[in-house]
Amino acid sequence: MSTRENNDDRISLLQGTLDLLILKSLVFGPCHGQGIARSIQAQSEDVFLVEHGSLYVALQRLEEKNWVRAKWGVSENNRKARFYSLTDQGREQLAEKASQWRRLTRAVGLILDGQSEEA
Amino acid sequence: MFKRKRSAKDFSEELQAHIELEAEELQREGLSEEEAHRQARLKFGSVRREQERFHMRGRWASLDHWLRDLKHALRSLVDSPGFTITAVVTLALGVGANSAVFSVMHAVLLRSLPVNDADRLVYLQTTHAPHGTGTVGAHDTFSYPVYAALRNQNGAMETVMAYVPLSASKVAVRIGTQPEEAEGDMVSGDFFSGLGVRLERGRGFTEDDEKDHAPFAVISDAYWTRRFARSPDVLGTTLYANGVGLTIVGVAARGFEGLEAGRSTDFWIPLQSRPELNAWGNPLDEGKVYITNPTWWCLRLIGRLRPAVTKAQALAQMQPVFQAAAYEGLGAPAAGENKPVLSLGDARGFPALGEQYGKPLRMLMGLVGLVLLIALTNVAMLLMARNTTRQREFSMKLALGAGRGDLLRQLLAESLLLVTAGGLLAWIFAIYATRALGAWAQIEASLAPDGAVLRFTVAVLAVAVVLFGAVPLRIAMSAGPSLAVKTSAAVSGADTGKTRMGRIVVVLQMTICVVLLVAAGLLIRTLRGLENTPLGFNTDGLAVFGVKPEIHSLEQGREFYRDLTVKLRQIPGVESVGLMMWRIGSWSSDNTEMRVNGKLPDVPNGGSRRVRINVVGPGFFGTLGVPLVEGRDFADSDTASSLHVGIINEEFARRFLPGQNPLGHVIETERRGFPLTIVGVVKDHKFRSIDEEPIPMAWYEYAQIPVIGRMDVELRVHGEPLAILPAARKVVQQMDPTLPLIQPMTQRAQYDLTISSQMLFARLAGFFGILAVALVAAGLYGTLAYRVSRRTAEIGIRMAMGARRGQVVWMILKDSLVLTAIGVAVGVPSAMLVGRALTSSLYGVTPLDGASYALAIGGVACVALAASAWPARRAANVEPLTALRTD
Repeated sequence: MSTRENNDDRISLLQGTLDLLILKSLVFGPCHGQGIARSIQAQSEDVFLVEHGSLYVALQRLEEKNWVRAKWGVSENNRKARFYSLTDQGREQLAEKASQWRRLTRAVGLILDGQSEEA
Repeated sequence: MFKRKRSAKDFSEELQAHIELEAEELQREGLSEEEAHRQARLKFGSVRREQERFHMRGRWASLDHWLRDLKHALRSLVDSPGFTITAVVTLALGVGANSAVFSVMHAVLLRSLPVNDADRLVYLQTTHAPHGTGTVGAHDTFSYPVYAALRNQNGAMETVMAYVPLSASKVAVRIGTQPEEAEGDMVSGDFFSGLGVRLERGRGFTEDDEKDHAPFAVISDAYWTRRFARSPDVLGTTLYANGVGLTIVGVAARGFEGLEAGRSTDFWIPLQSRPELNAWGNPLDEGKVYITNPTWWCLRLIGRLRPAVTKAQALAQMQPVFQAAAYEGLGAPAAGENKPVLSLGDARGFPALGEQYGKPLRMLMGLVGLVLLIALTNVAMLLMARNTTRQREFSMKLALGAGRGDLLRQLLAESLLLVTAGGLLAWIFAIYATRALGAWAQIEASLAPDGAVLRFTVAVLAVAVVLFGAVPLRIAMSAGPSLAVKTSAAVSGADTGKTRMGRIVVVLQMTICVVLLVAAGLLIRTLRGLENTPLGFNTDGLAVFGVKPEIHSLEQGREFYRDLTVKLRQIPGVESVGLMMWRIGSWSSDNTEMRVNGKLPDVPNGGSRRVRINVVGPGFFGTLGVPLVEGRDFADSDTASSLHVGIINEEFARRFLPGQNPLGHVIETERRGFPLTIVGVVKDHKFRSIDEEPIPMAWYEYAQIPVIGRMDVELRVHGEPLAILPAARKVVQQMDPTLPLIQPMTQRAQYDLTISSQMLFARLAGFFGILAVALVAAGLYGTLAYRVSRRTAEIGIRMAMGARRGQVVWMILKDSLVLTAIGVAVGVPSAMLVGRALTSSLYGVTPLDGASYALAIGGVACVALAASAWPARRAANVEPLTALRTD
């Protein structure tokens, strides 16, 4: 994991995409903020580096919308941390947003591929 | 929807945990502990910035809710402009009228004097003033010996202060050469210190100033502003009052305008002993001023109780002292005469104003309260009607998961907007209305809605906000989420309860309306009666003004007035000239008992022997146009050296010389003498005021008695009376360039002043009556229109079944006529009660005046008809098919 040097490859997250990624990273169980950031970074093969400030704003937003809930717990290495988990509403949202995203990427892909064929 | 808010501490703990976790991770990746922590913090960025973001977000969330609600409310109000405008204007009128009347009442009745510790100040009053003091009826004046005795009695009172106007109206004043008029009081030396009135500049008076009758003056802040433009050089300036030079030594604190009823005193001087500055501007009585004349009760007294001394204790101490001093100069009390009794009144508001306007104002407050009630119920009804039609909307919101709190918040937001708009308008309305009220009442003291009035208004508005928010909520909630899917038929049947309530409110409003209209009718007819009361002579073409020349001897005075009369008669357009000592129609009079042919006349049943006296010039009755019954008018040939003659009125002859020819009898005042031979009898006419009853009167000729001072001049002219004044002023100032015309006006205007409070009362009652009718009409229209719209489907069915238009119209009209009939049935007895309470304010009208009742009932019926006509027409135009299909 020696990715901290080559910053250029990283893509800043599209507005609204962060919510989707957070929801997704919670599918397999509760996680604290730092873990979510790490997991997004790792799963995207270090393409996405989550800005921690935006992460916590997003978490609050999701909590207010009732898509995630949070409670204090203890981390694997015995530290007190606030664990977030998906609510049923959050699960629905994840499904919906994921399908929206797939339609979007497919559409964008169609356009981009179409262009390349003509070229 | 409502999440429990996280605390800022909780949030920063989370951020801290994040950094710790990150540092551990980094350490595991091989960094040193120190470096790992550094990196973790670096990676996170500013923790404080995040905390701020968290904080702001929390704030925004709640603010955002409110903003959203307000925006939503605004949109919804703008969407129904008819409702919004009606509600706002109704509120503005109802609340504004209340604030205006409250602010006048507050100023007149409730506000304490602008002095220190007003709670310990008391006005001294008396009942049963001893006989022979000339103050019959007045209970707030005292003789100089009484003042001296009470002041020197060092007991329960810290101090007793005296004050007395230099004139019943204004006095001639001169600063430099320009003659003017101003209001001045003579006061005791500790007046300012005893009251605790601060001096804006310079100093107040001292006990020595009073003892020496020092020629000093303190002016009011208002006068300083008006006359001297707040010039700092005012101290040391000489002000001439009635020709006497007085050095200005101080300016009183802003807001202190004296203790006199609703008038603003311009300047104060220490008690004086000079004849030019006699109390009330009176001429000398047997060569004596108020100080040397122990029987003239002319001083007003105000005292300050010692701390922790009650009024009762103070009275117990002062009563014997008072009763002894009261008879100084009068001899022993007559057998069976009531002893004079001292009493203490709160120095709250202006006592005389309270007497004059207190009852009318309280009545007005009551009437206006009714108007407010109508206004508030109207808006509440409007809101209920409006929100019932929105039941579907509310129901939908409930179905979508909105809570009770959300609905309430939304309704409160709407109510807040409505009430704020209405309140702002109301305040503007109140400012103008207060000014108008003050002008009508001729209250010169500064009068404007102040903090207390604002608090009153805001309190009323706050109640309105909650009321208007909460009342519709019941309706909104009663719908429940299930209504959203129901059909309209269910809705129409759902609100019978509210319809009943609506009917009750309409009836209540009608009742109030009848009461207000009857009260207004009675008062307006009283006013009409007063305005048309015959005075006993014609005031058209009569102008009046006062002059107060500097007079040093009797002969000089007589000469002055003789010259003045001659010169005024020469002005083109002047028909005749009359002089009088007591201006007619100004409430002033000199009362005494008179001997007829050497002895006090017998009056049957112990009736009053009181006679009003006036001192007038030649041709006085001719100038007024008062008819002579017998004998002659005063003439130029009546002089000091000729036979001293007098004229009496019919009432005098009837009461004291029954069955005799009055001419040739000799009458004289009980104590002062001045015998005169009756040479004429005139018809009774109004002397002090329009609403007085005839009373025995006697007139002296000014050249024949040794009493000359200020006189008022009556001019009968061709054409517009006021147009003669510039020429008259020129004549007066040719004789003495320093003399102003005092209170020049038409004689009619002078008489009208005596009914100004009745006029004010009647006009206001009329205004509020009309306002109430307008509000009731609006409310009735709203309610009926709403009910018709609710019954559209029903009407459609009826018409489809063959009902004719006429039947539908009648159905609607009948509805409102029944309500009106009930309203009138309840209203008339209520109005009778109010009419009885008003009796003392009525003149020439009985409390059961038929015309007023007929007018009120007719008015309410017209309003009901007019307000129902439009909804009825709309009902008749309902298309049966559309009606069934819609909704």
